[in-house]
Amino acid sequence: MILKLAGVRKSYSVGAQLVSALAGVDFALAQGEFVTVIGSNGAGKTTLLNVIAGDTRPDRGKVYLLGRDVTGCPTHRRACWIGRVFQDPRQGAAPHLTVAENLALASRKGRRGLGFPLTRRRRAALREALAGLGMGLEERLSEQVACLSGGERQALAVLMATLARPRLLLLDEHTAALDPANAERVLAITEDLVRAGGLATLMVTHRMDQALVLGDRLVMLHQGRILLDLPSAEKRALAVEDLVRLFRQEGCAEDELLLSSADNAPPRAPLTPGAAAVPRSPKGP
Amino acid sequence: MSIVMAAVEQGLIYGLMALGVYISFRILSFPDLSVDGTFPLGAAVGATLIVAGWNPYAALGVAFAAGAVGGAFTGVLATKFRIQGLLAGVLTMIMLYSLNLRIMGRPNLPLLGRPSVFRLAAQWGGIPMAWANFAVAASLALGAILLLHLLFRTEIGLALRATGDNPGMVRAYGTSPEGMVILGLALANGLVALSGALAAQHGGFADVGLGVGTIVAGLASVIVGEILLRPRSILWALGAVLAGSCLYRGAILVALRYGSAVGFTASDLRLLTALVVLGALVAPAWRLRQEGAG
Repeated sequence: MILKLAGVRKSYSVGAQLVSALAGVDFALAQGEFVTVIGSNGAGKTTLLNVIAGDTRPDRGKVYLLGRDVTGCPTHRRACWIGRVFQDPRQGAAPHLTVAENLALASRKGRRGLGFPLTRRRRAALREALAGLGMGLEERLSEQVACLSGGERQALAVLMATLARPRLLLLDEHTAALDPANAERVLAITEDLVRAGGLATLMVTHRMDQALVLGDRLVMLHQGRILLDLPSAEKRALAVEDLVRLFRQEGCAEDELLLSSADNAPPRAPLTPGAAAVPRSPKGP
Repeated sequence: MSIVMAAVEQGLIYGLMALGVYISFRILSFPDLSVDGTFPLGAAVGATLIVAGWNPYAALGVAFAAGAVGGAFTGVLATKFRIQGLLAGVLTMIMLYSLNLRIMGRPNLPLLGRPSVFRLAAQWGGIPMAWANFAVAASLALGAILLLHLLFRTEIGLALRATGDNPGMVRAYGTSPEGMVILGLALANGLVALSGALAAQHGGFADVGLGVGTIVAGLASVIVGEILLRPRSILWALGAVLAGSCLYRGAILVALRYGSAVGFTASDLRLLTALVVLGALVAPAWRLRQEGAG
């Protein structure tokens, strides 16, 4: 087991009220498994990722990484096992460092000595890795990341997150801030890198079509609990309409998430695993 | 001509301090006021050791270490105890005022007739004092930017630079940004104290009031350098700090020599410096508003 959560609870106080973000989550992720996570706003998706990454300490329950209890372990101490891409492209890299310097920091994760990380040989390796993204970034190694577009930054962030061969990849709606064309591209890059590394992956998304097409397991969070946990076979048989129906049954029909993805999902026919390359319409209002 | 020489000489000596300010303000984005305490700390430690018979170079080394401890203290206050950065620096600065008096045993410690790195260089090279002053100041300042340039390309240097830029990313890639802030402030204040010790040897005395306004002078140097040279790489940026420091010292020397014609006195210096910094800070916002309106 790469990751195991046992009875994880987390509440925040908002004003005088105590809001429960995670209300007892049990979850396990096996080597090489790609799980998509959906849920409405406030369902606890981001808190879940924060608890796994170490940014948030749960009130109760345990987090195990590779069999080790890491519940009290700070983010930077468990970073060697975890790669993470955030929703905001600005969060993934240091803007005033060059592309090469950011990649160097990512590939020498946690090792901070007085060696020069950007040797000629490592530069060549980074250039090759960048060429694999197919965005022409290999010619822009010495440019500051601040000069890159959102899509380019996010592609770079995905590469950075996977460069040091983590055991677990956390994707937090990492295509939500991009335009549709770039979102597709970054998603395709993500799939490639995940598959090439055989990475256990947890991808939060607000797009039901994405959640169905990608990955081999689907988890639905609602009000801090895991409502659905569909294995590969059941997930494949599902269409967006079915998911919408499931959502409705669980009493979250008026959800913003449901409206936006039901309106904009492509017709049900191309919802096969290969459909990730099909351009999709932009996110709804 | 002599005023140019004097400006460059002082600019390089105080440039070490400005490099420290550049590291805390620009690299770490940390408004560190402890420099007003670590500059005289360096002077006090260095001068006391020379009076005790130490080698002037060794005195510089110990002064650097003392400044580094002061900076690390501010860093610990700000990160481990979560005290606001500005307040953490002010606390360190105030503590150092008393500490500096303790170190020297009195408010002013003259070094007249004592050995200094400048005098050693003049003896060793058989050159006049004026040349020795310049040679020592230049080699220390240029050596510092060369070492910093190399440091900022190492793994730890990249992590330092990324900390001021995006601490969350530094954390996600396995380094504690808190540790980097402590390390960076230690380095910055080490340089500031080194500058203070050097200034004391150059001026022939250490004084407990030496540090007042250090931060503003340092910021003025950093900003003047940035505006005039618009550096694009780290090495250039470090060079621009030194150039800015020389220009700043030159402006002061000119103001002191010729300012009396317009009723300017030495006591107006700090007001003027602060106004220069204020102008440089306000100008970008003002320009932005103009562009927005037009």
